[in-house]
Amino acid sequence: MKRRNFRGAYALGIAGLVGLGVLGAERTAQAEEIQLTGPLAGAPPVRKLRQHRKGRFEIAPAFSFTLLDEYRRTMVVGATATYNAFDWLGFGVYGGYGVVAPLTALSENVNTSAPRNPRTAVNVAKGDFGAQVSKMTWMVVPQVQIAPFRGKLAILSKVFVDTDLYLHLGLGFHGLEERADCAGGACTTDVKAMASRVAISPNFGLGFKFYTSKLVNFGLEYRAFPYSWNRAGLDQRGGGNDGKFPDQKIDSNDQTFKFNQMITLSVGFAFPSQPSLSE
Amino acid sequence: MKGIRRVAGCLLAVSALVAVPQVALAQKGGKKPPAAPAAAPAAPAAPAAGGDAIEIDDPNAPKKPDTPPDQPATPPAGGVTGGICDIDPTACPKQSDIKALADKKVAAEVYAVEQEFALKKGRVEVNPYGAFTLNDQFVSHPAFGLTANYYLTNVLAVGINGNLFAGLNVDSDFNFQNRRATRVAVPLTEYQWSAALQFSYVPIYGKFSGFNAFIFNYDVYALGGVGALSTRPIAVIDPDNRKFDFKPKIDFNVGVGFRIAFNKWFAATLELRDHIYVEQLENIQVGRSQAEQTDPNTWLGDKPLTNHIQAQLGVSVFLPFGFEYRLPK
Repeated sequence: MKRRNFRGAYALGIAGLVGLGVLGAERTAQAEEIQLTGPLAGAPPVRKLRQHRKGRFEIAPAFSFTLLDEYRRTMVVGATATYNAFDWLGFGVYGGYGVVAPLTALSENVNTSAPRNPRTAVNVAKGDFGAQVSKMTWMVVPQVQIAPFRGKLAILSKVFVDTDLYLHLGLGFHGLEERADCAGGACTTDVKAMASRVAISPNFGLGFKFYTSKLVNFGLEYRAFPYSWNRAGLDQRGGGNDGKFPDQKIDSNDQTFKFNQMITLSVGFAFPSQPSLSE
Repeated sequence: MKGIRRVAGCLLAVSALVAVPQVALAQKGGKKPPAAPAAAPAAPAAPAAGGDAIEIDDPNAPKKPDTPPDQPATPPAGGVTGGICDIDPTACPKQSDIKALADKKVAAEVYAVEQEFALKKGRVEVNPYGAFTLNDQFVSHPAFGLTANYYLTNVLAVGINGNLFAGLNVDSDFNFQNRRATRVAVPLTEYQWSAALQFSYVPIYGKFSGFNAFIFNYDVYALGGVGALSTRPIAVIDPDNRKFDFKPKIDFNVGVGFRIAFNKWFAATLELRDHIYVEQLENIQVGRSQAEQTDPNTWLGDKPLTNHIQAQLGVSVFLPFGFEYRLPK
């Protein structure tokens, strides 16, 4: 009953937000300065725009870290290479390698506190639990970047920086080191065997680029890459009528969906070093 | 329209360039003008005193004729005409200086954001939003919240903020899976409400062109505040015996937000807010005897410093709806 009440509150809240949005949208149309009827009618809102992307190749070394990890965090060093055919559209590839992958507090806790007995023998190594926790080892993502929003910002009214907001969308190939499939006695060994596999998933997100000069820019990017994997090598699924109970085996049934996310900081260098100007 | 504004802007800039040095030089260097004739202050109507140099501050003052019929064309000895070249000949611009200035190369590109799109000083911002947790993979704490800010200046505001979490906390499936597989439980907590007094500061503003077809303005703000957050442990270690009540904790807030203006009074907001507080967790040890298990003094465990980072999506309404710029664009 209580939940229903809050669902009602959710609906009311969303309806309120939509209502306010509609109100605002109407006023926006009236306030747009491009609705001119004089000689400037139809003119672009920005002339002589520095086109930081159009016709330029960019290489951007990057550092990334994952978010909301349950058993292991990953810090990725990589780079994005992009050719921008237009100021709003670029094609490229992102690649990265997981250089550091520390365990979370939960993994440390399991390592020190989990009982090692027949009930946990399939799931917890007798030695180091961390050794059976999965790793993201590498990722390669062919992708497109779409930059619909281009502008500038003033910092403390002193520093002015050209900026754009872009969306990226690609197909990612993610190298994983994950617990190997096993059944029966092979699952209860003291040390759990590991195996490599490649997970394929959509990659998408958005980012900002701050053009501090004609050559150099700084980037801040969010990336989501959802796929299913067995993050800690645990037997969680495959048994019971609906397959939601342990079956004393490790296999693909134990891979559960995770909305993987990471934040990337980058420094980009664009060539040729001089951007073109729009009309 | 924009062309006219640019021309007007250029004229204003040129006027400023011409006027600024004069005003500055007139106040320069403690070189007081020679003592004016004693009659000058006593007889403001007498044009010979030269005091009418302050016409710049009084546009309604009667203009002095260039050469009054009853005055000599040259000023009296020791008098002041009001011209900078007479007051301080060393500061008098030379023709060569003006030529050098005229030849000086200037960057033709325009960098600055010309004018802040929506002034905030003296206005109240009402910001309802929905929030979700960014950094807790075990329990998410979605909330509905409201922030009300009063802007003391265009960049500094004082305000209040409140969140309602009660009934919205979601215990992830993952907790159960992990407990079942490893026999290790993660202590969990749930939130009820939070309230805080806060300051916010707007160091960054700018504008974006969308597809080179329309323009919208945005700003970025930082905030800091202090208040209370009411939380309690969820009994997962020994749910048969333990029950917990909500208790408020001191809650420090820091955050950063991004606000997109649709018009002068309506905006969309995205904010990241970190609630920093000392959490009270459930004791992961269970007493051996029934008496120990039912003793509330054995139920509570660690008190870690906790960061709860939430993302807030909402809208902002500025009241009053309208305002006037102090200077024309």
